Amino acid sequence: MGGEKASSEKPKKFDPDRRQFVITIGSAIVALGIGYALGYLTKPVERITTTVTKTVTQTVTQTVTAAPPSPTPTPVLEYPELSDVARRAVLGVKKLIADGVVPKGATLRILHVAGSKAQLEKAIELWSKYVPEIKVELITMGTEPDVYTKAMSEAVTKTGAYDIVTIFSTWLGDLVEAGLAKDITVYFSKYDPEYVGPNAPIEPLGSYTTLYKGKRYALTLDSDVFTLTYRKDLLNDPKYKEEFKATYGYDLKVPDTWEEVINIAEFFTNKKLTSPRGGRVWGAYFYVEPAFAAYISWTNIFLEAGGILFDLETMDPKVDSPEGRYAFDILLKLKPFMPPEAISAAWADLYDKYIHGESVLTAAWPSLTKMAISSPDSVVKEVTGTALMPGVKLEIGGKPTIIRASPNPVNWVGIVSNYSKYPEASYLFLQFMTAPDIGLEVILSGVILDLFRESWFKDPKYRPKAAAGYGAEFLDAYLESIKISYPDFIIRGGPEYASKLTTAVNAVMAGTMDPKTALSTVAAEWDSITKKYGRDAQLEAWRALAQLFPEPIKMAWKAKGYMK
Amino acid sequence: MPEKPPRPIKILSSLPLNLLLNGVLIIPFIIMIYLALVKWSPLVGVNWWNAPFGGVVNFQRALSDSRFIEALGRTALFVAIVVPLELLIGLLLAYILQKPFRGKRFVISLLIYPLMLPPVVVATVFYLFFQPYGPVNNIFLQYVIGPRALNIYWFLDPTLAFITIIVADTWQWTPFMFLIMYSGLSAVPKRLIEAAEVLGASEWTIFWKVRLPLIKPLISVAVILRSLEAFKVFDYVYVMTGGGPGTSTESISLYIYRLAILYSDISYAAAVSLIVLAIIFIVSYFAVKILVGRR
Repeated sequence: MGGEKASSEKPKKFDPDRRQFVITIGSAIVALGIGYALGYLTKPVERITTTVTKTVTQTVTQTVTAAPPSPTPTPVLEYPELSDVARRAVLGVKKLIADGVVPKGATLRILHVAGSKAQLEKAIELWSKYVPEIKVELITMGTEPDVYTKAMSEAVTKTGAYDIVTIFSTWLGDLVEAGLAKDITVYFSKYDPEYVGPNAPIEPLGSYTTLYKGKRYALTLDSDVFTLTYRKDLLNDPKYKEEFKATYGYDLKVPDTWEEVINIAEFFTNKKLTSPRGGRVWGAYFYVEPAFAAYISWTNIFLEAGGILFDLETMDPKVDSPEGRYAFDILLKLKPFMPPEAISAAWADLYDKYIHGESVLTAAWPSLTKMAISSPDSVVKEVTGTALMPGVKLEIGGKPTIIRASPNPVNWVGIVSNYSKYPEASYLFLQFMTAPDIGLEVILSGVILDLFRESWFKDPKYRPKAAAGYGAEFLDAYLESIKISYPDFIIRGGPEYASKLTTAVNAVMAGTMDPKTALSTVAAEWDSITKKYGRDAQLEAWRALAQLFPEPIKMAWKAKGYMK
Repeated sequence: MPEKPPRPIKILSSLPLNLLLNGVLIIPFIIMIYLALVKWSPLVGVNWWNAPFGGVVNFQRALSDSRFIEALGRTALFVAIVVPLELLIGLLLAYILQKPFRGKRFVISLLIYPLMLPPVVVATVFYLFFQPYGPVNNIFLQYVIGPRALNIYWFLDPTLAFITIIVADTWQWTPFMFLIMYSGLSAVPKRLIEAAEVLGASEWTIFWKVRLPLIKPLISVAVILRSLEAFKVFDYVYVMTGGGPGTSTESISLYIYRLAILYSDISYAAAVSLIVLAIIFIVSYFAVKILVGRR
């Protein structure tokens, strides 16, 4: 079994006499001449192979008006049905096989979570159509923490049991520092997965999910950006509109700010409406649960209020701040208008309540909309609306501005293991499965991985397919949401920082801790995590990550003097 | 009298077992002690055998870690509640079932059925039972306190959430106590009971003065085994409350799991585990001495 790693033979000492020297230099000049001539002859073919789709119009025009037909034989484009990204991946792996870098019959092993099985199986099915010589095997774990545990064990034991691991972007810092995630910058440049241009993943998501300390360690497989999901029928009801205006003095509409969310939530909760299955209809449902998601809601409001998680000069936690207290203030005001289970139930309870018509305003991953419009149990199929997350009104440059941003919690990405025998082939599988054409098919075959390339939202070749899976209205709102999305804690210890915050937010919402104590506790705990991993190293990662936050947040940071 | 085998033969014959025991038990234990004494996490980018020495720093940290101390105290409280509760119910059931009746075998097999279920399944079932519209509120409590029962949110209040974990554990592990008590009571010689009856002893006196003293060693073993097991409570807490609200129901096992798995804080998790192990060892030593050694 041939690995890709170069052998470590000791080089022989080169000590020529004059005759040998003349022969060597002469041979080198002759070889260079032959090489240049061969290169020149093969150059046109190379160019057509890589850029034919972009240059065809120009070529035809020049041929008709200016010159007789070229005597060069028309090259046959291999795999014309594939996008450039997928074709480069297939041709790349074929070359690796031809060069003997990867043997025929080799197997790539992917560690992943059970939820993404259907989508990965689709990717493998398509891969084996083009690259039957390389098998891909799935190693499925039941839950997300299982994947983290296995990945971390692999980082310690270095067995090479997995070639690819699909991970939460939140874990990227941990897995890079633990030595598991391979720096794929070289492959990225060599095979170009099109992270720039019309097909590129939407920024800033494309960058913050794949870069760590400025280097590329992953390809994004997914987007997990939150949108505001709401009941269109209730917000557009003329009777409610009239009543709402009489009570609050402004029109009932999709909320622009969290203050408006509180009013709307209060209004509908007080209506004491009942869902078709007999449950109470609550005005709002935002994540404050204990297992992992409570940090999402708090961080969203905190960042929109201009808060910054860590000082960009010292790495001191900045959660114990006016913005932190404001975020708790909003959540505590919303508490009476949310189902009490929001504090104790698992994350899926939000989905259950929304699709059964038991909440009016909510926010979650794209799968909520998929479920609301397609689940047989859904009672809100025709009445689900999607909008940007509510924002916070700030004075910026003397002008009132609403700062809006969307959380992107978790977001699956693919990494290549440093201990893989076939890292280049593994990278190429990831490039293939995330290509514009293949990637869309993969995403539409399941529920865990969601849209991330701009062309899927805009290009007429892809948009109808995407709209069939998500609904056209969702696509427009989702595209804008991704553009203002911000990263999870993609620094070393990310899951630990998030978990400490989740515990504190949940405790405040349950009434077992007051906001002041919670914020000072989180600040102290975060500081000890930072100390544990080294302040300078953490600061370097945080500074790099902070640059990848969306413009509205950076604008607020600059206005508050947190960022220069 | 047969001749004793020479010493080398004795050593050689026990060597495979010694190697196995050392491999399986002692070496990992030594690694755990080593990890507790260094400052290592997979995230620091060095191999564990190259980790910098930390001395007792992890142990010092544990002593000032309020979350650890609270989890330890909470787990001890849990053990102090569930073990006597399960013992009393198990003993009562075992006593009642001493009398012969039709279908006794069926009732016994029904009683021990919870023991066969994985704790995670039991936890999930009880999690559903205690939902506001679940059977506990909707069927049982509604009869007692009326429609107000539907407004009881068991997992929102730290005390109520703790009670749900106690209920789930008691339901699953009472049969363990029952089984031991039942076999103990069944083994009490009939002649002793008949003799007591002839002498005019009441049912209560026979139980208190004859049956109970005879099964006391069994009770001791059951209490020790069950206490050790209850101290490791994890599944019910993880599934039913996730340790919440906040960390108000977090058990020591859940806390160690989070330290090691979620936070990758392996050295500190090892130190905390060793402290817990030491506490369990000391408590068990005295418990055995008091409960068994006094005989």
